[in-house]
Amino acid sequence: MQTLEIQRVHKSFGSLKVLENINLTIEKGKFAAIVGPSGCGKSTLLRMVAGLETPDEGTVQADGKVIKQPSPERMMIFQEHALYPWLTVGENVEMGLELAGVSKEERRKRAQEVLKTVGLDGFYNYYPSQLSGGMRQRVSIARALVMDPDVLLLDEPYGALDAMTRLTMQNELLKLWEGSGKTMLLITHDIDEALYLADQIFVMSARPGKVVQTIDLDLPRPRSRHSQRFGELRQEIMQLLGLEE
Amino acid sequence: MAVPKMKSQTWKKVWPYAAAVGTLLLIWQVAAFFLPPYLLPGVPTVLERLAAGITEPEFLTSLKESLFRLIIGYPSACLLGGLLGLLAGLSRGFAVYLRSLIAILQSIPPITWIPFLIILFGFGNVPIITVIIIASFFPMALSVMNATEGINRTHLEVAKVLGATKGQLLRKVYLPETLPSFITGAQVAFGNAWRSLIASEMVGGASSGLGFSIKFAGEVAQMTDVLLYIVIIGMIAAFFDHVVLEWLKRRVLKWRYIEGAK
Repeated sequence: MQTLEIQRVHKSFGSLKVLENINLTIEKGKFAAIVGPSGCGKSTLLRMVAGLETPDEGTVQADGKVIKQPSPERMMIFQEHALYPWLTVGENVEMGLELAGVSKEERRKRAQEVLKTVGLDGFYNYYPSQLSGGMRQRVSIARALVMDPDVLLLDEPYGALDAMTRLTMQNELLKLWEGSGKTMLLITHDIDEALYLADQIFVMSARPGKVVQTIDLDLPRPRSRHSQRFGELRQEIMQLLGLEE
Repeated sequence: MAVPKMKSQTWKKVWPYAAAVGTLLLIWQVAAFFLPPYLLPGVPTVLERLAAGITEPEFLTSLKESLFRLIIGYPSACLLGGLLGLLAGLSRGFAVYLRSLIAILQSIPPITWIPFLIILFGFGNVPIITVIIIASFFPMALSVMNATEGINRTHLEVAKVLGATKGQLLRKVYLPETLPSFITGAQVAFGNAWRSLIASEMVGGASSGLGFSIKFAGEVAQMTDVLLYIVIIGMIAAFFDHVVLEWLKRRVLKWRYIEGAK
């Protein structure tokens, strides 16, 4: 399993400063979340951990090694499900294994197992266009899980889903993570989502993106969204983001 | 109960085509009432001639020659265009180069190359096949180039995260994602290939083929044969475009025609 370390990271796109002096550490096996308004560079930060972007200054490390390119150890789940429409559910899930040269029977076996854990048993031969938004996002989670990564990077995975599906998916995500030992890093602009899921929340402000507060959560799971502590923390984050006086 | 419903659905799809063909035949037949048969024979006369003509060796040779040129020229053009388009989609510099080249070639009607090519290669298949390739590679190249340039970035990134190499990106993402444009390009390219094939044969690229035959019939004022060849040339093109390429499209792009079951 991997510990993620981001040290003194700066990043600009042209003259636009996106990230300024970001420092954060996520211990292995922890569920961390980054909350912030759109444009605060949180997606850019996540893409650096995935190896899709490089910082202008500073380092992004996984277990002491500098991240230079994507690795099957760190799987990313994208905002839009980003499934390949020309592949079936099963073929989408098997894509990473196929690229790695895993045999057909082995691929199929592992894909079937993972589809079962995300509750999509029997959808192997469907095309993504035949599924609902929530089911598609489950497939994309299965596609990441089948690689058995140490780190799961989630880029606003439930942003496009309706409120009810979102709550169901959050519970499912917790079940997948608990006891797996995987390090999770979730990007979201949904404060409640972060509070419900994470051990540790980094609150970011925008233009340029900075971490303004790190909150360690001591709430036991399953958490109630209506508990007093939950409400206090929600208020604290909203104040930090300037959404509430 | 399901059978009549199926029938009515097929009919719904077919009737506009049937109506279009019917309109043309009607105009032809009405005009034939007012003109002497040696100027404009009626529909039944030509259809009778068609039934008898398609077994004549003269006609069959003509057809075979044309189809041979098409079958060599058209797929070569598709392959060349697809390859160039894919390369141009991947390299910005090459895209500008290819666009300029196509702009120049497009402003010269393909048939203009015939005298040049005949002097160079002599009469026969080579000049005609070359013209087919010049005329039909660029719709393919443009279509594929645009699709490659506009490829979904997230689709590429997903593959990179999953560990794809450069070659795997090409085979697993670029190729399937641009496949619909390959098909669209191939359909436009077919129209160009067919037109330039017949035109090349007519202007003297060779002394055989459907284009040569219709020109010959015209020179000896055989109106029935002229009309016969017009009908045949149209029918072959329609068959390729609406049956062969359409079938290919539905087969290759199966995922696009699947019904939603949300």
